[in-house]
Amino acid sequence: MLSRYLAIVLLLAASGAVMPVAADIAVIVNPANTTALTNDELTRLYTGRSSALAAVNIAESSPLRGQFDEKGVGRSSAQLKAHWSKLVFTGKGTPPLELATEAAVIEHVAQNPNAIGYVDATSVTDAVKVVLTLN
Amino acid sequence: MRKSLLALSFAVALVPATAYSNTTINGFASIKAGITTGSDEQLYGYDDTLDFKNESLIALQVKSDLGEKLSVTAQLLGRGRDDFDVGFEWAFISYQLSDNMTINAGRLRTPFYKYSDFKDVGYAYDWLRVPQGVYGLGFDTIEGLTFYRTAQLGNVDSTLQLIFGGYDGNASLSGAQVSAQIDNIAGITWELAKDSFSARFAYLTGKTSIDTSPVTLAPDFTVGNLYQALTANGLAPIVTAIDIDDESSNFIGVGLTYDDSNWIAVAEYTRVEVENSFISTQKNWYVSLGKRFDSFTPYVSYERENNDAVVSIYQPYTAVLPPQLLVPVQGLVASQERDASTWNVGVRYDFHPSAAFKAQFSSEDNDTTGQRNGVLALGVDLVF
Repeated sequence: MLSRYLAIVLLLAASGAVMPVAADIAVIVNPANTTALTNDELTRLYTGRSSALAAVNIAESSPLRGQFDEKGVGRSSAQLKAHWSKLVFTGKGTPPLELATEAAVIEHVAQNPNAIGYVDATSVTDAVKVVLTLN
Repeated sequence: MRKSLLALSFAVALVPATAYSNTTINGFASIKAGITTGSDEQLYGYDDTLDFKNESLIALQVKSDLGEKLSVTAQLLGRGRDDFDVGFEWAFISYQLSDNMTINAGRLRTPFYKYSDFKDVGYAYDWLRVPQGVYGLGFDTIEGLTFYRTAQLGNVDSTLQLIFGGYDGNASLSGAQVSAQIDNIAGITWELAKDSFSARFAYLTGKTSIDTSPVTLAPDFTVGNLYQALTANGLAPIVTAIDIDDESSNFIGVGLTYDDSNWIAVAEYTRVEVENSFISTQKNWYVSLGKRFDSFTPYVSYERENNDAVVSIYQPYTAVLPPQLLVPVQGLVASQERDASTWNVGVRYDFHPSAAFKAQFSSEDNDTTGQRNGVLALGVDLVF
């Protein structure tokens, strides 16, 4: 009985998308990247205050995007969009590249030594290195 | 040089995408409607007829990255009040000198205020409009060059901007459109940010000339007529004292912001001085407080304008000025007197990932005229 319950929990955990509770988010970089990353630096990268690494976002249609905006950058998606509007329409910055799927984010980060992205912690592969886990 | 926005959109759409792989097109739009709360009231271009054009606007921005740290940006903007005729609001080339230093040259925004650079991008802030008591100066653009340097001073983010250039265009004076010129503009702005706090300081100087001669003082009597009459009466020195001809001018702006993504508080103080002219020194400020509740951000703000007429410039001449000239001189100087305070209450509602609905009620008490003016406006700001 207990093992069946466990199996259901594991099954649910594996299919993160249907989980009503937000899963952990893994912030990923290229395996060649040796820099340590703080939450503060992560915020700076995703608000355009630092360009030490090239940040990529997952498309707004993904629920992961809203969760990352809140947990990783500490702002709502609308607030972040307002922030980037200030930079875009004054020529001061370009928002992070947007990729459609988690697989595309992993592929991009695996191929670009300077890239930083994020995926659901359960989606991480060997092609990338986890530098921070947000929960 | 004006083109219809539609023609431009088609032109952009028809360009083969492959040729422009490093070109990005973004845009923003505001559709707003407003009406005054009383039949004899006028404020921000509204009267007692519901108006959808006055504050509506649409803009397209094309930025092309030419590689080797060089890029070009053009922002075309059409305002409803100009029948959506499109003009270049920004048009500049940008060269990145290093990771934290950039130089831009071309048509830029004059960085008087904290929100100057993006005051047309309503989506970027919570208010329905930037506080007009402070932001009403005009002279929004500058042709010249600007230098940005960002740095981290300990854990404080610093942005330093230097700007040089000139303005040649229109200005609004006592309701009349006049041509204006500001030469040799030189300015510095410095913004410091740490966690939820930021502080901004701006100082700009220039030589201002405004052709006030077409401004009407009385039926068939313009400022130009007044200057001629004064000169004919041997009173050229008073013309020199009141006209706006290559006058030293300066602008000081101080801004403070607190934004912890829950509460947002903003305050700005500005002081504008045009020496040796009938323009009064303008000391204006506002404070604003908002609180975010998920998608809703209600806010309240208060603006204060206090401009004393510079009566001292004609006082040495009161004995020698004939009444038919003293009265219009006094009238011209007194026209710059302004003592007004404005309350605004409003709300921003983020109903869509790229669009915000806003509603704002503004009530201005003008102590100089004894008039109260109220405006209710609603609208949508979006980015694309």
